[in-house]
Formats: sequence, C-alpha cells, structure tokens
Amino acid sequence: MKKKTLTAAIFIVLSTALLLWPMAGAKVQAADKIGWVGPVYKELSASLTAGFKAYYKKTYGKDVDITFVRPGGWPVCLDKVRAWGGKPDADIFLGAGAPAHEVLKKEGLIVPYQPKNSDKVPADWHGMKVKDKGDYWTCFAPWIVTNLYNEKVLKRLKLPPPKTWNDLLDPIYRGNIVHTLPYASGTMHETIEILMQAFGEEEAWKYLRLLAAQLARFSTGSTDTTQLVARGEVPIGIAQPQMNAMAARKDGFPVRDLLPEKTILVPEAVALLKGAPNEKVGKIFLDWLFSDDGQKYVLEGRYFASNTDISFSKWEKEGVEMATHAQKALGVDSFWDLKVDFIEYDLDLATKRWDEVNRKYEYEIYRKWGELKSSLFLIEDVEGEIAAAKDAKMDVAKADAKIKEARKLFEIDGNYPAARLAASKARALLVAP
Amino acid sequence: MSRGSISLAALLWLVIAFLVLYPLSILIIESFKIAATGGWGIGNYLEFFQDAYYLKTFLNTLYLSTLVLVTTTVFGIPLAYILARYRHLGKTIFTALILLPIVLPAFAGVFAFIIFFGKYGTVNLLLMDIGLTEQPINFIYGLHGLVFIQALHMLPFIVLGLSAGFTNIDPSFEEAAEVEGASGFRRFFTITLPLCTPSYLAGAVLVFLWPFTDWLTPLILGQVDFLPSVSYINISYHFTDVHRKYMGIVAVVVSSVVCISLFLLARWWVEKKKYTGLSKGTTSEGRVIEPSAWVKSGAYVYMIFIAILVLLIPIVLGLAAFSRRWVFEPFPTYWTLENFRLILLESPGLIKNSFLYSGIALVFGIAFGLPVAYLIVRTRVPGRDALDFVITLMLAFPGIAIGVSYLLAFWKGIPLAQYWIIMPIALFARRLPYFLRMAHSSYLQLDPSLEEASEVSGAGKVRTFFNISLPLLLKGVLVGVVMFFIMAFQEISTAVFLYKGGWETLPIGIYLNWHRGMEFGIAAAMAFLMIVITFILLLIISRIGGGVLKAAWGAGEN
Repeated sequence: MKKKTLTAAIFIVLSTALLLWPMAGAKVQAADKIGWVGPVYKELSASLTAGFKAYYKKTYGKDVDITFVRPGGWPVCLDKVRAWGGKPDADIFLGAGAPAHEVLKKEGLIVPYQPKNSDKVPADWHGMKVKDKGDYWTCFAPWIVTNLYNEKVLKRLKLPPPKTWNDLLDPIYRGNIVHTLPYASGTMHETIEILMQAFGEEEAWKYLRLLAAQLARFSTGSTDTTQLVARGEVPIGIAQPQMNAMAARKDGFPVRDLLPEKTILVPEAVALLKGAPNEKVGKIFLDWLFSDDGQKYVLEGRYFASNTDISFSKWEKEGVEMATHAQKALGVDSFWDLKVDFIEYDLDLATKRWDEVNRKYEYEIYRKWGELKSSLFLIEDVEGEIAAAKDAKMDVAKADAKIKEARKLFEIDGNYPAARLAASKARALLVAP
Repeated sequence: MSRGSISLAALLWLVIAFLVLYPLSILIIESFKIAATGGWGIGNYLEFFQDAYYLKTFLNTLYLSTLVLVTTTVFGIPLAYILARYRHLGKTIFTALILLPIVLPAFAGVFAFIIFFGKYGTVNLLLMDIGLTEQPINFIYGLHGLVFIQALHMLPFIVLGLSAGFTNIDPSFEEAAEVEGASGFRRFFTITLPLCTPSYLAGAVLVFLWPFTDWLTPLILGQVDFLPSVSYINISYHFTDVHRKYMGIVAVVVSSVVCISLFLLARWWVEKKKYTGLSKGTTSEGRVIEPSAWVKSGAYVYMIFIAILVLLIPIVLGLAAFSRRWVFEPFPTYWTLENFRLILLESPGLIKNSFLYSGIALVFGIAFGLPVAYLIVRTRVPGRDALDFVITLMLAFPGIAIGVSYLLAFWKGIPLAQYWIIMPIALFARRLPYFLRMAHSSYLQLDPSLEEASEVSGAGKVRTFFNISLPLLLKGVLVGVVMFFIMAFQEISTAVFLYKGGWETLPIGIYLNWHRGMEFGIAAAMAFLMIVITFILLLIISRIGGGVLKAAWGAGEN
C-alpha cells in the first residue's frame, strides 16, 4: 500500500514536471510574435511565413510566431480592424488595393512607416498611385485587372491573340471567350466599371451586349474562368487578376496574360496598424518585405513583386522558380516594363453604383442571353443580305435604314425582341421595298 | 402503443427539433426579411412569382427533373431486372460498377465528362484529328449534357430500388401468374412491376428531387437557369446586395415546398398499396432465371455499355491524376506522380477527415434511423408521420440551404459550428433520409405477423427486433448503411459552407483545387483516390458480408 502511494506520488511529480517543463523552457526563450490581417491568397501568406521565419531565425537567432487572419475579402478585413477599436489583434494589414488603405488611413487605423528599400517602389505609375505620399501604405505586390488566353489553343485554332477590347468583338473569336457574372466576381464587376469609365456608359453597355454574344458560356467565378482557359475548354478569359496566368503556368498550363489597353492597377499594399502590439517586429517585417529576399518570397507566393530593380531573368538564374512563370506569363522581364494605359478610376462612383451595375447586367444581359444572341445573329444575317443586295445593285435604302434602327434597338436600348422585329422588317423591305 | 415507444419517440423528436426544425425555421424566417426596409413581409415571395425569370428557372427545373426521371427509369428497369433475376458471370463487378457514380461527388463525374466529351476534349480532338469533323461537336454543354450526367449519377438509385424490389417479391406471386398462363411480358407488367412500386418510388423520389438540389453540375456546364444554381449564386455571391441573398433563400424554400409535396404524393401512393408477402422469411435470393442465349448476350452488351460510361469517370480522372499539363491533347503526354505526392505529403488530413466524419455520421445514422423506421412502420405513436415528414425535409432541402441554416443557427447562440463535430452532425442530418428510406421500405415488405408470432411466443419487443426483425431487414438495412456511408463520404453542398481550415474533406479538396483553377491535376488525383478508396471499401464489405451483401444488391449466386 505504501509502495503504491509512493509510486503514485513520484508519478504525479514527474508528470507535472514533464507538463510544465516546456512552459519553463518557453519562458527562457520566448518566441517573438507578429500578426497579419488581410485578404491575400493562401499561397502568399504561406510563402511569406516561411520566408520571414527563416530570416528572423538567421538574423535574430530567435523564432517568430506568425498569426495570419483572413476573415474574408477586404471589406470584411476592414470591419475586423474597426471592430478591434484601436487595440488590434494584429500588427500588419497585409494586402488589398488602394481603396482599402485609403479608408484605413482616413479612419486613423494605420500609422505611417517607411520601410527600408521602399524607395524602390515607384510613387505612381501612369497616373495610378502605387504608395502613399505620407508613407501610410506601400504597395508590395502590384497587379492589373486583365484578361488571359491559352496560347496553345489559339495557335491550334489559328487565331491571333486579341490586342484590344474591340478585337474581342471580332467574329473569329465567337464562342471562344468566357467570363463570369459581375455579382459572382469582384474582378468582373471592376472590368465592367472600367469599361463604363473608359468608354462612357452607353458605349460600355453596347460593348457588353456585343461581347455577351461572343461568349461560349458564363463561368461561375474568376478562378473558374482561369480553369476553363488553362484547360483550353474556352481559350480566352475576361476579367482576371493578373497573377492567375502566372499561377496557371506554374501548374504547367500554356496560359498568357492578355493586357487590355484600358484597365486599372491594383496596388496590393501593406500597412502598420495603429496600436500594434508587436510594433518592433512589425517594422522588421516591413523592412524585410521590401528587401530582395522578401520580394522573392512575394513572387514565390504567386504575386508580382513591387521593387523596380527586379528582373525576372536575373531571379530565374538565382533559382526563384516563379520568375520563369512570371516572365512567360507577362512576356516582359519586370512588372514595370508592361505597356499599360490606365484609366482614371472613380472609386466613389464605382462603390455607389455597385449593386445597380450588377443588377443591370443581370437583367439586361445575363437573363436574356438567349434572346440577345438570337436577336444579334438575325441582325447580322440581314446585314449580310443587304450587303449582298447592294452588290447586286438593288435598292436597299429602306432596308438599310430599318436595319440601322434594329442595331440601335439592340445596342442602345437592349430591346432584343423589338430589334428582331426591326430586322425582320428590314428583310421584308429588301424583298419588297 | 407502449410507454417505451412514446419515450423513444420523445427522444427522437428532441434530436429532430435541435438538428432540423430549429435551423430550418431560421432559414424560413430569413426568407421573409425585406432588404430594402429591414422589416418583414411576403414581398420576396411576391417578387419571385411575378418575375418571369424566376418562373422560367422554376419550370426549367421541373422539366429537367422529369427528363432525368424518365431517362433513369427507361435505362434502369432492364438493368435492375438483369441484375436481380439473371444468372450470369461477374454479377458483383457489374453491380459495383453500376453503383459507382453515387460514390463520387456528382461534380467529379462532370469533370471527367468535360475532359472526355468537352469542346476540346478527347473525343472531339480525336474526331478532328482523323478528319471526321471540322468543328468540335457540343456533346455536353446544354440540357442534353445535363440530363446525361444527372441521369448517370442517379441511375443507381433506380437500379438499387428496383432490384431490391425484384429480389424481394415473393416468387409465388409470379409463379401463380405463370400457372394462370400469363406470358413473360404480361407477367412482368401486371405482376412484377406493380409489386415493385414501393421500392421503385423510394428511388424515384430521390432521382426527381436531384435537379432541385444539384447546384454544381449545371454551374459547371454553364447552365445556370435552374433553381438550385440560381439560389447558390444569389446566396453565395450577394456581396452587399442583401436582397439578392433573400431571393436566393426564397428560391430554396419554394423548391423545397415543391419537393415535399411531390414526396408526400409518392408516400401516399406507397402506403395505399402495401405489398407484403407471408413467406418472406423463407427465401433470401428471390427468383433467379436462366435466360436464353440471345437474351443473355443482349443483357451483357447492355450492361457493358452502361459499365463503360461509368468506367469513363475513373479512367479519365486517372489519366488526369497521373499527368500534368493535359491541354488540347487527346491523351496526356507528361506523366508524373507529383499530384499524389502533394496530396499524401501535404494534405493527408483530408482523407482522415473524410473517414472520420462519415464514420461518426454513420454511427449517428444507424442509432437514429433504425428506431425511427420502427416507430414509423410498426407503432401507432402519435406524430410518427410528422417525424417521417420532418426527416424527409432534409432530403428536399438543398445542401446549401442546410449549410447556410446550420451556419446561422449554430454560430452565435449555440456555437456548435466552431467545433469540428458540426461536420459529422451536418452529414448525419443531411444524409439521414438515405438510410431511413431503405429501412422504411424493407419494413413495409416485412409482414408484421412474423414479429407478432415472436411476441406471442414470449419474446420482448427488443428481443424480437434483434432476433426476428433485424435479420429479415438485413438486406434493406445493409443497403441503407452502404448508401448512407457513401453519401456522407461524397457530401459537399452542406460541408462546403461549414468547413474551416483543417476540416476539409476529400470532396471539398477536389472542389477547391478544381475551382481555384490552377491545381486541376491535384483535383483529379483526389477524385481518383476517392474512387479507389470507396471501391476497395465496397469490395472489402462484399467479401466480409459475402452472400448477404450480394443479396442486398439483388445479385444471385454465380
């Protein structure tokens, strides 16, 4: 009995010691901490975590614990920071474009800090801001709202890559284009907004109607678009975050970026939160992020790096795997070598009419997709007949006027049945003027 | 009516109230919220029925359901008959193959068919390469493709139901018809088929409800104008447009109401025609026929045709799984094990999760399903119809609605959704009817007099259940168990709303990797792995279960 008690006592002491031992050990060498919050993809956070941990261990001889919260898209992340009310549970706001960071700045949720090397990031580019003048936020991973295509399939179909928004309307691409619904993807929504702001509303809706007739189908989201293009099922995809082409290449798919002539830059940025509990480590992270080492991990995380002194071919030699894919996807040696023409993007306007634009697209184009196509195809048929009649020296004046009316009904009013009717009348006028 | 069955009923009702009534009522409440004013009302419903677009999607869905049911029935009757009645080689293999589509998440099949029959898929590329066609043929994008894929996916339900029916029919009925001089066809249509109505309807209802539940297949095929797809898009992608979300919920509720009504109709029909045979206890194999050589070779050709269609799924996914960069080539050219390395080394948890959650759900399912089937068929406990009705609700409610309602119901007040146990619970709740239907129709075919005899002889209710009812029910129950596990294993619509990092199951892994567009090979490899795991599982069970399982699938001795 006594022996048993003794054994039990020893056992208890030993096991308690065993339990407490790691805690005591941890106290001696407490790991430093840092927290990130933001909407970046998982690949980027994983890559940055690995890179920063290695760097910290090497430089400070200590481990660093990294927590990363991604509660949702950027509006949700923003709400999260607001909810923390000045006592954030993280130190760094990682990711999201200028709009999010402008709100953070306006609401006093971030503090200025100029990371070392961030002078290598341009202040602005073709009229779009890349970092804040007051150093509140700095872009570390720029990308452009873009399109992409499958080079293998286009080559096989003997089609040249379309260069401009208008090229996409060429009948040779009919049935070879895909995009998603604006309410299923923020990037698609922004593309519509870009078209509206670049070409004017009337022209943009006309364009969208004509583009819809070119589509093979609608995809379920912007990554679904990437997938369809990557596998060649539909060779051209509209409204893509620019990194998707590079990521698809990484997986072995012959996909290339198809930069449209009018678009916008999304300067995926980083900022130090006000009241950050680990401000010191936060600053170390920001300095590292813009170092050559940090930027490599950004690229390995499938985002483009922001420093201007980067060349993909040099990095390729240094063994950065994604550099090859980045170069092949973009067709240039540095992100900043891209030839772009950005529009002046009115974010307030875009935000205000977000739902309205989505609904207009849904009601006027998506829901009537079948009618839209049959209407346009009839108009095109009759136009062909009128052209043939003209060649045969027939009197086509009346029919010509009528078919123009049909075009207008289709393009401007989006009244597809009326456009069909007008086209039928034009055809009748051709036979019996 | 004993006190025991009343307290049993009360216990089961508690479970139902917590896992079904509470979350679903929250879903219904949501559908009456008006986005514009923040108040309540029937505005959303009025809009739904006045909007030509929603009406169109509604009719489309009904049309699709009909087409799928007709297709599965036409192809399923001969198949079930062959499997249940003809003596032939390789019965187990054929049965397993034909059952295969249901072990896969529906969308894995879709992926395979897109790769094979897609616009620049294997078939089209081969046709163009040998110069038979200039332009790719549209094999699957459209209603025809949707019907084909959904029908192939649901065919097992008809075949399972019917072949169980064919096997369970008391041979003396058919023999009597034969003696009276009814020819083969006449006997089949006047005696055999009508006797199978209860088991057929059990499967047919599931088939008919499928297009009201399956949001993903239409989406992948680019055919969005069906109720579940519209609901999914509206609920998942509403961003700031709250009205869109409520309209999605309304669409879910409306389609559920339709499904429940249809289901009740079917059940009323089954109950009206109670078919029971007294000699059920004496034969377990049913009637097996040795057909003529011509009929037999026809049967083989037919089975091989269906089996090839089904086999395309694992074969195509297998090709994709062992390769990368398969683009615009009839067959892959770059072979690698990289996809499997990534799965096994970087995310083995997915496989573990799938087994763990489905296993726990199955335990819940049996512990709950058998008593419910007993209560519904054998007792007069008040509210037993309501119990059946409520459980059936889970069948009719699309998985996304269950996922969303669970998320709403179990997040703040009862924070169950913050723990992984929510996954098996949700799987259990969602898949329960699959087990119950089978147990229910088996109970219907089990004559009460056998149980009564046991009780008269002095055995208690519990002992009677284990010694008499359970062995006789075994076929139906085993079919139910296999079906339940399989269905839980491939569940995604609910799980996709509830999973958190680390809780991913295989289907979610497939969906994420496919949908993210970049890891198509990994998705294919996961789907392939899932097929292999499930197939091995089926084979192991059939070895252990031996004759019982073969009988359960309606197969005779070889």
